[in-house]
Amino acid sequence: MTAKFSRRTFLKTSGLLSAGIAATTMLPDKFLLWAEEQGMLTSTLIPTYCEICFWKCGAMAKVINGRVVKLEGNPAHPGSRGKLCGRGNGGTGLLYDPNRLKTPLINTGARGEGKYKKASWDEALNFTAEKMTKIAGQYGPESMAIFTHGAPTDHFLPLISAFGSPNVGMPSFAQCRGPRDVGLELTFGESIGSPERLDMANSKVVVLFGSHLGENMHNSQVQDFSESIARGAKLIVIDPRFSIAAGKAEKWLPIRPATDIALLLTWINIIIAEELYDKQYINSYANGLDQLRTAVSGYTAEWAAAETDLKAADIIETARMMGKNAPAVCIHPGRHATWYGDDVQRTRALGILMALLGSWGREGGAFFATQASFPKMDSKPYPEPSREPLNLGGYPFAGGEGVTQAIRNATITGAPYPIKGWFVSGTNLLKSLPNQKETIEAIKRLDLLVAVDVMPFDTVMMADVILPECSYLERHDALAVGKGKSLTVSLRQPIIEPLYESKPGWWIAKELSNRLGLGDYFPWNTYEEKIKSQCSLWGINYEELKKVGTITIPNTAKPFITALEQPQFKTASGKIELYSKELEEKGFDPIPRYTKHPLPQSGEFRLIYGRHAVHTFSRTTNNPELHELYPENEVWINASKASDMGIGNGAYVTLVNRDGIKSSPIKVKATERIREDCVYMVHGFGTTGKGLAKAFGKGADDQQLVTRYAVDPICGGTGMRVNFVRIEKGVTHA
Amino acid sequence: MPKYAMVIDQRRCVACMACVVACKKENDVPPGEFRTRVVEQTEGTFPELRMELRSELCNHCDNPPCVYNCPTGASYKNKENGMVLLKSYRCVGCKSCVAACPYDARYINEEKGYVDKCTFCAHRVKEGKEPACVATCVGKSRIFGDLDDPKSLVSIALHQNHSEVLLKSVGTIPRVYYIKKFSKPE
Amino acid sequence: MEITVTGLNAISNPHLHAWDWRVSLYLFLGGLSAGLAMMNSVLHVRKNGRLAEGDKAAISAPMYVPIILSIGMFFIFLDLESKLHVFWFYLTVQPFSPMSWGSWGLLAFYPISIMYALAMFPENKRSLLAFRQLQELSTWMSRYKLQLAAANFGMGLFIGIYTGVLLSAYVARPLWNSALLPIVFLTSAMSAGAAFMIIISSRKQVKLFFTKIEIWMILAEMVMLPLYFYGQYIASDAQRESIMPFFTFNHEYFWYGLAMLFLVMILPIALVMKYMEITEEHGEELTSAALFKMNLSALMVLAGGLVIRLSFVYAGQLSHL
Ligand SMILES: Nc1nc2c(c(=O)[nH]1)N[C@H]1C(S)=C(S)[C@@H](COP(=O)(O)OP(=O)(O)OC[C@H]3O[C@@H](n4cnc5c(=O)[nH]c(N)nc54)[C@H](O)[C@@H]3O)O[C@H]1N2
Ligand SMILES: Nc1nc2c(c(=O)[nH]1)N[C@H]1C(S)=C(S)[C@@H](COP(=O)(O)OP(=O)(O)OC[C@H]3O[C@@H](n4cnc5c(=O)[nH]c(N)nc54)[C@H](O)[C@@H]3O)O[C@H]1N2
Ligand code: SF4
Ligand code: SF4
Ligand code: SF4
Ligand code: SF4
Ligand code: SF4
Ligand SMILES: [Mo]
Repeated sequence: MTAKFSRRTFLKTSGLLSAGIAATTMLPDKFLLWAEEQGMLTSTLIPTYCEICFWKCGAMAKVINGRVVKLEGNPAHPGSRGKLCGRGNGGTGLLYDPNRLKTPLINTGARGEGKYKKASWDEALNFTAEKMTKIAGQYGPESMAIFTHGAPTDHFLPLISAFGSPNVGMPSFAQCRGPRDVGLELTFGESIGSPERLDMANSKVVVLFGSHLGENMHNSQVQDFSESIARGAKLIVIDPRFSIAAGKAEKWLPIRPATDIALLLTWINIIIAEELYDKQYINSYANGLDQLRTAVSGYTAEWAAAETDLKAADIIETARMMGKNAPAVCIHPGRHATWYGDDVQRTRALGILMALLGSWGREGGAFFATQASFPKMDSKPYPEPSREPLNLGGYPFAGGEGVTQAIRNATITGAPYPIKGWFVSGTNLLKSLPNQKETIEAIKRLDLLVAVDVMPFDTVMMADVILPECSYLERHDALAVGKGKSLTVSLRQPIIEPLYESKPGWWIAKELSNRLGLGDYFPWNTYEEKIKSQCSLWGINYEELKKVGTITIPNTAKPFITALEQPQFKTASGKIELYSKELEEKGFDPIPRYTKHPLPQSGEFRLIYGRHAVHTFSRTTNNPELHELYPENEVWINASKASDMGIGNGAYVTLVNRDGIKSSPIKVKATERIREDCVYMVHGFGTTGKGLAKAFGKGADDQQLVTRYAVDPICGGTGMRVNFVRIEKGVTHA
Repeated sequence: MPKYAMVIDQRRCVACMACVVACKKENDVPPGEFRTRVVEQTEGTFPELRMELRSELCNHCDNPPCVYNCPTGASYKNKENGMVLLKSYRCVGCKSCVAACPYDARYINEEKGYVDKCTFCAHRVKEGKEPACVATCVGKSRIFGDLDDPKSLVSIALHQNHSEVLLKSVGTIPRVYYIKKFSKPE
Repeated sequence: MEITVTGLNAISNPHLHAWDWRVSLYLFLGGLSAGLAMMNSVLHVRKNGRLAEGDKAAISAPMYVPIILSIGMFFIFLDLESKLHVFWFYLTVQPFSPMSWGSWGLLAFYPISIMYALAMFPENKRSLLAFRQLQELSTWMSRYKLQLAAANFGMGLFIGIYTGVLLSAYVARPLWNSALLPIVFLTSAMSAGAAFMIIISSRKQVKLFFTKIEIWMILAEMVMLPLYFYGQYIASDAQRESIMPFFTFNHEYFWYGLAMLFLVMILPIALVMKYMEITEEHGEELTSAALFKMNLSALMVLAGGLVIRLSFVYAGQLSHL
C-alpha cells in the first residue's frame, strides 16, 4: 500500500520531514528523491480532445488525486501529434478558473444590468422552455434563433432545429472563413477544410497573406510551418506588420493594407506572361485561361508597386520564386478572411494563383481529403420550417453556418418576420460580431436571451437566463471526426466530474428537449450511450477509443494527383474555374478585379487586428495560466510615427474611430514592426464582464471600434478592417 | 553515463509559448514565476528588420557559478548525467545561487520557500520521457538528448550545424546550445 | 532593438532582486563587528596595553563584537526563505562558496571574540564576572593576551574581507565582480570600527588615538572608492554599465545618485572634522561640544558604511552581463 500524496503537499512536508531525518542521519538525499518519485506515481492519463480553440487537438489529461494537474498532446492524434500549443497546455486554467459560472442564473433587473439571482436547474430550464414555447406560440418557432460556435453546437443546433427554426448563425462563417470557403468552392468545387489540407511541410515556397502562423496557433499547421522552414522552404509573407512569420521570411512584403488583390492579380499577370504557370495542369484541369490572361494583362508590377507600396522588383522576384518552385508552393488561403468586403474575390485570386502554379492536389501544395467516411446515424428528421430561413441574408453564396448579422438585422427590423429569442452557446457575440451597437440594439428587442457558457463574458451577462456549462474537461461531447490524409475519430470524455453545479451541454439540451416536448430527438439516456452506438455503427471499439483517445481508420487516401488518380472538381464545369460563370450569372465579376479601398486620412490609422499565441479570441483572457503571459493587449504604432506624435512606448492612449467611439485605455507598443498607416491590436481584450477578476478592464476591445463593416455581396462576410482611428494621448491608467 | 544537453534550433521556434506553459504545469511553478522564457528580439528599422526568437532556461553549466556559490550543497551538479539540480530539503533559501547565475535562470519559489529552477525535467527523463517543454515544443525547436550518444538528436543537430552558447565568454560552459543559422560545422 | 520577454528575466523585470536591506544590514554589521574587533586588538596591544587602561571601551568593545555580529547574523537569518533548514550551513563545507566559509568563519569568530573579551577583562574588575569558573578562565586566558589579540585581529580581517568577497565572487554581477571590492569593504569596515570605538571609548587619549586611525581609514576609503569606480569604468562594457546607476541622475536611479552624493559629501566632511579634532587644542577633559562633534563625525562615517552596503547590494543586482 502506498499512501497517496499530492505532489504539492508532499513537497511542503518533505522540507520539515527531511529536517528531522537529516539531523539524525546524513543519508537523506536518496531516500527523499525516491520518496518524491513515489508521490508522483499515483497519476493517471486520460485521453480527450481540446476545446480552447477549434483545432480539436487530441490531449492526455494527467490526474492526481482527482485533480487535473497537466494536459499533454496525444501522440496518436494528427492535430496535436503529441503536442499542445500554449493555450492547450493552459486548459486547466479554464477548468479551475475561480470566476467560472457556477450555478444557473436568472436575470432580475433590466437586460444587461447584470442583476441575477441564483436558480436551480429546474427553475432555469423551466423558465427557458416556457419562454421558448411562448415565442413559438406567438411568433412561430422560426422566431427563435441560435448563435453558436464550437462543441456546444452539436447539442443545441439539433435542439433548435427540432424546435423548428432554421435560423442559425455561427461567427465562423460571416466573421471568419466564409469568404475563403466560398471563394475556393467557386474555384475548385470544394474548400480547403479545417484543419486546412495544406502540404506545407513539403513546400519549397510558402506564401502567407496575413496568415500569421505562430501567432495564429493552430497546432499541427504550425508544426508543418516550422517543418517547412527547417527543410529550407522559402517563405513569402505579405503583412503590413512584421509578424512572427514575417520574422522568418525570405521576403517580407509590408503591403499597404487592403491592396492584396492588386498584388495577387499582378503576380498572376507575371506568371502568365512569363509562362511560369503549369501548362499541362491548366490545360487538363482548368478553364478560362484566355479570359484570365486578358483580364490581368493591365496589372503591371509598376502599377502594383504604387498601389501596394511595395517595390516592383520585389513583386517580380517573388512571382518568379513561386513560378520556379511550382507546384510545391503553398499559397495559404487564409482562415480569418473577412477583411475588406471583397474577400471572396481575394480568395478567388489566391485560388487562381494556386491553380496556375498547379499546386492544388500536388505535393507541397494542397492535398485531397480521404474519400473514406462514416455512415450517418439514423435520426428523426427535423420539422420543415414553414417560413424562409433568414440566416442566409439574401446573399447568393451564403453557407450553412449562416450569416450572423443577417439574423441580427432581422431582429432589429422585425422583417420579414420577427426574431424574438436568441439561444447563444459558445460564442461571445459582443466580441465576435462587428458593430456592437447593433448587437445591443437587437438584444434589446428580444423576448428571450439564453446563454449557455462556461464563463461570465460580455454577451453572457446580457442574458435573461444563464445556463452554466461545465468545461470540456468535465464532459462528453460529439465524437470529433477528422478528414485529412486519413479519417480519424476522437473522443471527448470527462476527466473529472463537473465542478460546482455546472452541467454538460448534452444534458442541458436533453433536459430542455424534454421540457419542450422534443425528447424524441434525443433518444438516449446519456451522451456516452449515443457515442457507443455511433461507435458500433462505425465499427470502432469504444473501449479501445476510451483508452487511446483517437483512432485512425486505415488509410485509403489519395492525397495527390497522379497519372492514375485524376482529380474531380465539383464545380459547375467540372473544372477549375479561373473564370466563374456562376459568379457572372449572379452579377459578380467572373474574374477578380481590383477596386481601391478608402485610405486613412492624415492623423488617422487603419485599425487592424489579429491573434496572440497564448489567447483564443476573448475566451482565454481570464484564464489564469494564459493571462499571466499576456495580460492585456497593446496597440502597435510605428515607432517613428509614435515619436513624431510624442507617444512613448508603454504609455496609455485611447483610440477614437470615425463614429466617435472611444476605446478604453490601451498600452502603446511603439515598434518598427508595423507600417505607418495602420495600428494593430490583439483581438479579444477589454472585456466588460465584471465577474472576470483577471480580464476585466484589461486592454481594449478592437470590436468596439469596428462600428463599420464592409459586407461581401457574394456571401455576406463582414470585412472588419475598414475602420480608421485617431490616437488620443494623455490617459492615466492604473 | 549520459551527458544530457539541450539544443535550441532557433530557426524552428515560432514563439508559441507552449514550452513556457507546459513547464509551469509540469513542475507546478507558482504564478509570476518561470523556469523558462521566450525572448523575441527585433533589430533594424522598418522595413529592414530581423527577428531572433530565443527560448531560454537553465544552461546546466559545466562550470556552474550557482553551485559554487551555494553554501549548503543544495545546488549540485549531478556527476552522472551533468544536470545541475537542487536538493530542496537542503536549501536554506539564501538566494546566493540566484545572484550567482548570469542567466536569470533561478527564482524563489514563494510557495515552497526554496530556490528553484529548470531541472531538465529530471523526473521525466528518468522515466525515459523528454522534458515537458521539449515534448510539447510545437516547432520542434527544443531538442534534448545525450551528447555522448552520437545517434542522439542533440548530437546530430550539433554535428550538422553551427551552434553557440549564451554568454560564452563568462566561462560557465553551458549545456544548452543555440542554432541560429543554416550552416554546416566549420 | 526591441525585446519582448514572455517569462521572467532582468529585462522583463529589472528589479528582480534576490537580496534586499536585510543582506545589506548583515554585511554592514558583520563589517562593523570585524572592524571593531581589529580596533580592539589595536587598543589592547597599543603601548603594551597601557592605552586601554581605565577606558570603558577596553571592557565593552570586546563584548560589543559578538553582540553586533549576532544582530548582523539575525538579519541574514531573516532573509532566508527556509529558516528551518538553516542548520544545513553547518552540516557541510562548500569550499567554493564564500557564504559557506563565511558562515563557518563567523561561527569561529564567536569563541575567539569571547575568549578575547575574557582575556582582556581587566584584573581589578574580574570579580564582576558572575561565575568563579569564568573568573578563573579569564585569569588563565589573560596569559595569552598577545596571541589572542593577534587571532582576534586576524579574524576581524578575515570577516571584513569576507563581506566583500561574498559579493565579489559573483561573475554574474559586474558591479560586485571586482577584486577591489573586498578591499573597499575592508577599509569601510575598519573605519566603521574606529568610528564605533570613538563613540564608546571614555578617555580623551583613546578617542584621539582612534580619530587619527579614522583619518587614515577615511583617506584609504577616499582612495579605494574612486579607484574601484575607475576600475569598473575602464573595464568591460558590462562593468562600465554596472556603475551607471550611481552616475545617472534620473528618476529610475534616484536612490543610487543620492547615495553617491551622500558619500561624496560625507567622507570629506568627516575627514575635515576629524582632522580639526586632532589639531584642535583640547583641555584635560573634552568639552561636550567637542564630544558632540567627535560623535557626529563618527556617526557620519558609520552612516557612510551603511550607505555603501545598501547601495552596493541593490545596484549590484541591477547589473548584468
Ligand atoms: N493563438 C490563436 N490562434 C488562432 C486563433 C486564436 O484565437 N488564437 N483563432 C483561430 C481562428 S478561428 C482563425 S480564423 C485564425 C485567424 O488567423 P489568420 O487567418 O492568420 O488571420 P489573419 O486575418 O490572416 O491574420 C491577421 C494578420 O493579418 C495582418 N493583416 C492585417 N491587415 C492586412 C491586410 O490588409 N493585408 C495583409 N496581407 N495582411 C493584413 C495582420 O497584421 C496580422 O498579422 O486563427 C486561428 N488560430
Ligand atoms: N474584431 C474582431 N472580430 C472577430 C475576430 C477578430 O479577429 N476581430 N475574429 C473572428 C473569428 S475568426 C472568429 S472564429 C470569431 C470567434 O468568435 P467566438 O467564438 O464568439 O469567440 P470568443 O470571443 O472566444 O467567445 C467564445 C465564447 O464561448 C465561451 N466558451 C468557451 N468554451 C465553451 C464551452 O465549452 N462551452 C460553452 N457553452 N461556451 C464556451 C466563452 O466563454 C466565450 O464566451 O470571432 C470573429 N470576430
Ligand atoms: S491548437 Fe491549441 S488550443 Fe487549439 S485545440 Fe489544439 S491545443 Fe487546443
Ligand atoms: S544557467 Fe545559471 S542556474 Fe543554470 S547551471 Fe548555469 S549558472 Fe547555474
Ligand atoms: S538558495 Fe538554496 S540552493 Fe541557492 S545557494 Fe542558497 S542554499 Fe543553495
Ligand atoms: S526542461 Fe523541464 S524544467 Fe527545464 S524548462 Fe523544460 S520543462 Fe521546464
Ligand atoms: S514551444 Fe518551441 S516553438 Fe514554441 S515558443 Fe517554445 S521553443 Fe519556441
Ligand atoms: Mo475564425
